[in-house]
Amino acid sequence: MTNNTLKRVAKATLAAAALVAVASAAQAEEELNLYNWGDYINPQVLAKFTEETGIKVNLDTYGSNEEMLAKIQAGATGYDIVFPSVHMHDIMFQLGLLEKTDIGSDPAFKNIDPQFIRAKTDPDAEYCLPYAWGTVGIVYNKKKVAEMTGWEDLFALADKGEKIILLDDLRETIGIGHIMNGTSVNSTDEDEIKAAADYILERKKNVTAFTYDSIPLVQSGDVAAAHWYVGANIFVQQAPDVLAYVIPKEGATMYQEDICVLASAPNKDNAKKFLQFYLQPEIAALNVQQQLNGTPNLPARELLPPEIANNESIYPPQDVMEKLQIFVDLGRDLQLYNSEWTRIKTAQ
Amino acid sequence: MSKAHHTLESRRKLTLFGLLLPPSAFLAVFFLGPLAIMIVYSWLTPGLYGGVEWKFFHLNYGRILGWADTKYERFDPVYFEIFLRSVKLAATTVLLSLILCYPVAFWVSRMPEKRKNLVIFLITLPFFISLIVRLFAWVLILRPTGFFNQALMGLGLIDEPLEIIFTGTAVIIGMVYVFVPFMFLPLYASIEKLDLSLIEASQDLGANRLQTFFRVILPMTLPGIVGGSIIVFIPSLGNFIVPSLLGGAKVVMIGNLIEQQFLSARNWPFGAALGMMVMAAVLVLLLYYIRIVTREERQAGGLKVAEEVAA
Repeated sequence: MTNNTLKRVAKATLAAAALVAVASAAQAEEELNLYNWGDYINPQVLAKFTEETGIKVNLDTYGSNEEMLAKIQAGATGYDIVFPSVHMHDIMFQLGLLEKTDIGSDPAFKNIDPQFIRAKTDPDAEYCLPYAWGTVGIVYNKKKVAEMTGWEDLFALADKGEKIILLDDLRETIGIGHIMNGTSVNSTDEDEIKAAADYILERKKNVTAFTYDSIPLVQSGDVAAAHWYVGANIFVQQAPDVLAYVIPKEGATMYQEDICVLASAPNKDNAKKFLQFYLQPEIAALNVQQQLNGTPNLPARELLPPEIANNESIYPPQDVMEKLQIFVDLGRDLQLYNSEWTRIKTAQ
Repeated sequence: MSKAHHTLESRRKLTLFGLLLPPSAFLAVFFLGPLAIMIVYSWLTPGLYGGVEWKFFHLNYGRILGWADTKYERFDPVYFEIFLRSVKLAATTVLLSLILCYPVAFWVSRMPEKRKNLVIFLITLPFFISLIVRLFAWVLILRPTGFFNQALMGLGLIDEPLEIIFTGTAVIIGMVYVFVPFMFLPLYASIEKLDLSLIEASQDLGANRLQTFFRVILPMTLPGIVGGSIIVFIPSLGNFIVPSLLGGAKVVMIGNLIEQQFLSARNWPFGAALGMMVMAAVLVLLLYYIRIVTREERQAGGLKVAEEVAA
């Protein structure tokens, strides 16, 4: 062994020792592991939490409720907090995956608008905290179409040869058929589901794609309009001359996610601290300012800048609110939607 | 002498055993294990929220093969149709990448050593970047305002952007793009070994170019062609990323269907049963490959014996 190699080995050993030292220091530190949808929390909220409590926050992301559930069911551990939609909150409760937090008895819980305690299995918010909500509507390119009011306009645009995109989501997309047929998006009636699927199927030839990745294509004008979430307002804000988001006048679906602590959470106390932290109106407002979605925290809304608080596509008036439907868990009947979705996707 | 030979032989066997043990153990744990789970799951009752219930259930196969007829588990020829469509796409991918790679492999194999290595490095270069990122780049290239259309319009070749993105053409472009390196490498390996003097001999003996190609070059590079085709066919059959991203998820492939069962439909056993169907098809193909390869070897062996006899 030459002198040179010896030196190199010594250096590598030193570096490795230093790494081990850093790693063990990190272990001693308090931690909180969030498992959230991609881009679904303002990073400043997390920074502020660390600043106030000294707890280090790690964030991992998922793309759908099912992906998250499949991972947790397959035994993924190490996560403290998840952000399931309301129907998934119910499912996870029934599967015994959630930890009781008694967040509903916290004095600051009076900040939460009670209509957002939606999970049937958690009527007193003993487990989870309502986090955020929003609508699923249409984002469109104003250079391609001057104004759009609803689903009828969207499909009329497609008939004229403009390109449109629908979500690659079986319940959301078949849900449009339900809304147009006047049936519930939670229908478990085979004929109603088939009729809703037929509505989409009849229009499929004019649908350019089924995807979530539509914003850049709408922005560039490659596609005129796309079925998307209220979060599109983030992009509308950046390019107000090009983009617009609308809640369809015929009605639309809405979603809501809750913050839940997992029964398998390694840092339960830190997780509860995070729930309490998020009850503060300032924090909920800070999140909305970046996310541009709805918060169930009533005093937080008063802290919002008027251009957000008065934006009717984010905080719609009560008559529009009443036309919004939220998905509930269908249990075994989901298979009916699954078969119809396969039928839609196979047709040419 | 025979004893020495014997110990040498047993030592060789021991070394071979030692060398093969780690990969065999690896395959047993990470290939056979999951495979066994899939086989078992495909015969179980779907759990309400994903997972399985430990009760025997045959309707997962019934849905595919024809005897299921309950409200939730109903036979539908559509699954078989989707499978055939995937086979067609995989076969098209194989054929196009073969046509593309075969002449290129010849060209590269005749290059000077240094440039040859550079070219092979360039062909494997895409592996250094995530597939998803590369496919999103294709979306940007192929869309109406993208590079490809703008370049053609700039050159005055077309007046209106071509409809490529979110069509079958985009899927095929993407698939061939993804699998070209897998076709190239085995093809190149067998073309590189091709003895040029045999081609000369064939020409000397009066064969024309076509005859030389079909009777000398093609049979001698056949193992590379078959190997490359199989290595491309198998993963293309299950690929679901390309049809989703470049095809706009408008057409379901067997891979999409399986993914859908495990995620949005929460029906793991049915997904496992569909997976088994793909597996069976792949297995048949592999057996066929093994038969061809062993026949080649036997022929080559026969040739050697003939040479020895002649000598």
